[in-house]
Amino acid sequence: MAGVMIERPAPTVGEALRRMREQGATYQGVWSWLTTIDHKRIGLMYGATAMFFFLVGGIEALIIRLQLARPGLTLVDPDQYNRLFTMHGTTMVFLVVMPLSAAFFNLVIPLMIGARDVAFPRLNAFSYWTFLFGGMFMSASFFTGNPAGSFFEGNLGAPDGGWFGYAPLTLNQFSPGTGIDYWAFGLLILGVASMAGGFNFIVTIINMRAPGMTLFRMPVFVWMTLVTSFLIIFAMPIITVALFQLLFDRLFGANFFNVNAGGTPLLWQNMFWLFGHPEVYILILPAMGIVSEVLPTFSRKPLFGYPFVVFSGIAIAFMSWGVWAHHMYTTGLGSVANSAFGVSTLLIGVPTGVKVFNWLATLWGGSISFKTPLLFAVGFIGMFTIGGLTGVMHSMVPSDYQQQDTYFVVAHFHQVLVGGALFGLFGGIYYWFPKFSGKLMNERLGQLHFWAMFIGFNLTFQPMMILGFLGMIRRTSTYEAGLGFGLWNMMSTVGAFVIAFSVAVFLVNVVVSMRSKEKAGADPWDGRTLEWAIPSPPPVYNFAEIPQVKELDDHWAKKYVQNEAGETVPAMVGGANGHDEEEDEDEGGHNIHLPSPSIIPLIASAGMPFLAAGFIYWDNPWMLPLIPVGAVITLVGVYGWALEPATE
Amino acid sequence: MKLGQVSAAKLATIALVVATVVATTGCGALGGDQNTFNPAGDVAQKQLDLFILVLIPAVIVLIGVTAALIYVLVRFRRRAGDGIPKQVHGNNALEIGWTIAPALLLLGIAVPTVAAIIDLGGEAGEDALHVRVVAQQWNWRFDYLDPEYADGDGRPFRTVDLYIPVDREVGAELEALDVIHSFWIPKLAGKQDVVPGRTNTLKFNATETGVFAGQCAEFCGIGHARMSFKTTALEPAQFEACLKSIAEEGEEPLPAACVP
Repeated sequence: MAGVMIERPAPTVGEALRRMREQGATYQGVWSWLTTIDHKRIGLMYGATAMFFFLVGGIEALIIRLQLARPGLTLVDPDQYNRLFTMHGTTMVFLVVMPLSAAFFNLVIPLMIGARDVAFPRLNAFSYWTFLFGGMFMSASFFTGNPAGSFFEGNLGAPDGGWFGYAPLTLNQFSPGTGIDYWAFGLLILGVASMAGGFNFIVTIINMRAPGMTLFRMPVFVWMTLVTSFLIIFAMPIITVALFQLLFDRLFGANFFNVNAGGTPLLWQNMFWLFGHPEVYILILPAMGIVSEVLPTFSRKPLFGYPFVVFSGIAIAFMSWGVWAHHMYTTGLGSVANSAFGVSTLLIGVPTGVKVFNWLATLWGGSISFKTPLLFAVGFIGMFTIGGLTGVMHSMVPSDYQQQDTYFVVAHFHQVLVGGALFGLFGGIYYWFPKFSGKLMNERLGQLHFWAMFIGFNLTFQPMMILGFLGMIRRTSTYEAGLGFGLWNMMSTVGAFVIAFSVAVFLVNVVVSMRSKEKAGADPWDGRTLEWAIPSPPPVYNFAEIPQVKELDDHWAKKYVQNEAGETVPAMVGGANGHDEEEDEDEGGHNIHLPSPSIIPLIASAGMPFLAAGFIYWDNPWMLPLIPVGAVITLVGVYGWALEPATE
Repeated sequence: MKLGQVSAAKLATIALVVATVVATTGCGALGGDQNTFNPAGDVAQKQLDLFILVLIPAVIVLIGVTAALIYVLVRFRRRAGDGIPKQVHGNNALEIGWTIAPALLLLGIAVPTVAAIIDLGGEAGEDALHVRVVAQQWNWRFDYLDPEYADGDGRPFRTVDLYIPVDREVGAELEALDVIHSFWIPKLAGKQDVVPGRTNTLKFNATETGVFAGQCAEFCGIGHARMSFKTTALEPAQFEACLKSIAEEGEEPLPAACVP
């Protein structure tokens, strides 16, 4: 760093507010979205992009279900099938659940901790664009064709190694073509996005909390975001190394996984699952955080045993590093390793169970309002309990020898990731939609969405448990008649279309709700946390005045007091629902500092797909120049970033 | 009142046992050649027993949590005129209790689990039938390693489906020539991966004669779905006759001596 400090006079309060209004007035158009560094807009873009990929992954799932509806169908051939299920898994994990969680981090965390933005707003924009480009890059592989022919002849170019990408099946010898390369580079790019986001939210939560908000006054969702962010920054480097090894094997003839040259296939599995199991908790902990916000609000009670819920989340995160080999019981690790990982897997059930009991106790004695967010949160508890219990079954190593790689496992993790994570995230959408749109989501459509999804979910995934018992293997493009699989598969396929219907209802609901004239107001649910203290949608600067936090559930504490009889009653001043801080905007006396919009983060992200494509096709002299092109774009982005002043 | 509670608990226990039995026999009765609830070997039977052992507490917990959830939702639903409920922040004793209780339950489950891991993990005995299982995209072959089956040059006898004597332990050495596969005969034993570059082992037996479906269980490319094989368990004398017939006539069509 050259020691040159550019001195910029701090803008006066009047100036800052005026500029804010101007920004608000010009806060329109495509350019404003491309250059935005406002955490709320970035959050919305994260959410919209994740929803788009959710539809893509969902269509893949429907094709898979159609193919398996009856024995011996040939809707897709085995090659197409393998590419579809690979992309279904990869898309749902990396392009749907993770970014949907990131959407909530972005939208909600700064509001919950009383901050005006995240710690590094431009890095935040960089995270989003990198995620978008990484996802688009990986998905583009569908259209590249494969060695058997072009896309237009029905030859998909997508990866065909499964989301787990086990070597040596992913080496050139067994997976020629570029699918695996797109997959590996796509994941590397997405890893950059996740790492940047992880660091950003750690620093934001540690450093940007409003005065008085000690760690143990943070809402549980903030805690779970912090824990998840730590998991992300420790887990992503592991898969990054593994992907580099794989790419070196594929592109440059290295031999990390090539058995004939002394490589070890199990190295990949150890690396992948050492990343992959914490990843499971990266997917579920944010949803647990959302449920821990929704239940108290809709039962009008504080979360039961806040410290237990927080510490159990932390415990899960620590323990998630010691269970990876339960994905590998059948690989021949030996009795000692299998026993150790079996027991550690049993033990991770303890903090998970604690959460379920605490949620039940939160509802106990409450005044429960059955709005859509609560339905999804309750659905989460029910379905996640099944997911957790089937997880305990997997720690019974010898019986897992039977279940490993069967549909019982497919049922188990969809129970956790759909019935758990996705239900929680949908609950979050219904819960916070009014905060960011200013409109409540339509309640009737919401209820229809929940019940259709709940029924469809159970119809889709519970028969898979029976299929597992009956010995149906995973990742099978078809199955024989006479094994007794037909009926259960048909049920599952019907269920999948019920889920698809529920998602259509959700999309209609978004449109209907956005068009509704009715305003939600600042605090439609009688919320407990700080985001409900500011107008809906929040102004660009979030808080005109940074709040002073005195206790947990500070917003609730400002609305309700205990009377002499020990009953909780609305506070006399600034009562339950009447108080709207929209008028507080001009109170002044505060230096509102917001950085300017910038296109630089997008440029810095845009170089990466070029670099990746250049390396994939590096033996083609026409494509090789993509490497320097990508490098130059990245360099321009990084230098521009360093030189661009934060505020104009 | 107390009496009612006790009989309710009894009733629930009975219902639960009945449900478990129905579920087990029900799944078994569904049939299918790969039904793990319908074992025909000691290893698969032990694995099923262990599964039932965890299934029972799991079903109890599931019913308990679901019932509690429904009860809470019904009883504490918001009614017109509800005040603000009492703001209870927690109860340490209760929470420590529901941390320790599942921990004890899970540790209780750990004991038979570890015992079974060690039981199933050892090497096959001296008098077992020794077979080398060779997997490659997308077929299997089986080499009978015991010297009495070797040909004049000492090369092991080889088949494309597996034939074993009933009630005798089989010790399989698993080798893969290309990618990872997984050797699985659902009715006889849980699966064991076949990993290139290392030799895994699996011991199992069949306790009844018959033909049992086998299937590759680890994703191995476009032929994965159809990478299956048959395991035929025969009376010892017939087993010897079967191998002899195959040596003379080949496996296709299957000699009469090999039909159980």
